[in-house]
Amino acid sequence: MENQFEDIKPKGSLDVTIKLRPGSSAAEIKLLPGQEFTAEAGAMIAMSPSIQMQTTTYKKNSGGIMKGLKRMLSGESFFLNHYSAGYEEGTVWLGATQAGDMMVKELNGEGLIVQGGSYVASSPNIEINTNWQGFKSLISKESLFWLNLKGRGTVVFNSFGAIYPIQINGEYIVDTGHIVAFEESLNFTLTKAGKSWLSSILGGEGLVCKFSGTGTVWIQSHNTSTFGYILGPRLKPRK
Amino acid sequence: MNIKIEGKPVFAYLVVELEPGETFVAEADAMSSMSAELDMTAKFNGGFLGGIVRKFLGSESMFVNHFTNNTNKTLTVHLTQPTPGDVEIIELNNESYCLESGAYIASDAGVKLGIRWAGFGSLIGGEGLFKLIVSGKGKVAFGGYGGLLHKEINGEYIVDTGHLVGYEPNMKLKPQLAGGIFSSLFGGEGFVTRIEGKGKIWIQSRNVSGLASWINRHL
Repeated sequence: MENQFEDIKPKGSLDVTIKLRPGSSAAEIKLLPGQEFTAEAGAMIAMSPSIQMQTTTYKKNSGGIMKGLKRMLSGESFFLNHYSAGYEEGTVWLGATQAGDMMVKELNGEGLIVQGGSYVASSPNIEINTNWQGFKSLISKESLFWLNLKGRGTVVFNSFGAIYPIQINGEYIVDTGHIVAFEESLNFTLTKAGKSWLSSILGGEGLVCKFSGTGTVWIQSHNTSTFGYILGPRLKPRK
Repeated sequence: MNIKIEGKPVFAYLVVELEPGETFVAEADAMSSMSAELDMTAKFNGGFLGGIVRKFLGSESMFVNHFTNNTNKTLTVHLTQPTPGDVEIIELNNESYCLESGAYIASDAGVKLGIRWAGFGSLIGGEGLFKLIVSGKGKVAFGGYGGLLHKEINGEYIVDTGHLVGYEPNMKLKPQLAGGIFSSLFGGEGFVTRIEGKGKIWIQSRNVSGLASWINRHL
């Protein structure tokens, strides 16, 4: 059984099926005996009783408080959950807070940068690092923090709205609140959207991300901050 | 120019391909991604005075963005709206159409964006004092929270406040109580808008105020 599995999928890969796309996506992860994965805390909606759950601040058995704190800054939970199947196989279902789509991506040693908040789950041998992008992140209206995922295995991420990939070969501009993930091979600068800074600020776009090089960026059709701006003023102050 | 709506009906967004020399106009902050060579210029929404009036009295953005292709190849821009929901495109042929605040997403360069006094009744109904009126020649894209429904009316029709997206300029809008005093207060509808006239109206299936008041009960 185990050999059969390894024939189909590269080692370290997860068997993930995204159901109910794109409005109410949920990820069904099937674990073979002994298999495990890492997920954002709070993402689990249902699971087999035989699955063991362990909560740490960073990687399983190596919880670094600083790493956890850095991840909390990036809009992700302070804690990560590790789900493992014991002697039996089992299933874990993961959901997202925002209405939207989910995506599965296989990594073969390359790096993937995921916007804080979009990370859902990953194979145990994928390294999760929080990269502080420098002071340029501070002046953006969205807090630009990224999770740097690297290794061999599967990554699952979610979006607010639909996800569309853009294959970049040259230069492309993406509004910072719409970036879900991008390949490490791409370079980016934070810049103005229009010809002039004045246009960019007056036009409501503020800072945007200008990607260059060759690689793929995954974009979400909707922006949680913009939705928040129209909903927020209508809410009463918290008691 | 090639305009496509993707992600219908829950997460609809626009994919606009601009040929060399073409310009497309969009609401401030509607751009989600675009070719880096595309020129983006912010301009007053409906002229200088219109921009100011719309910002401070119509609770809409003061500026719109003009996207212009000054290269010699086809360039792309993706445009979206703040809420998840559907997007529709109407084509104006020297006609005009009224859009409720927040519904406008984008339009051809030949479409004029103007403002129109909506009347004090509109304020009672919880809408702004001014409405956006689009006129001229070309396509106009607008969106709503949830699904978009349209209805041809001739005479009168009643739409719940916050659900009306677009209507013909000849139509009269009057806020009124949904029913008697009792059913208006306890039936959950409160004010509704009575529309009088002839033509097409667009309605959205959800409204942000409804979501906000539901969340408010949990705060």
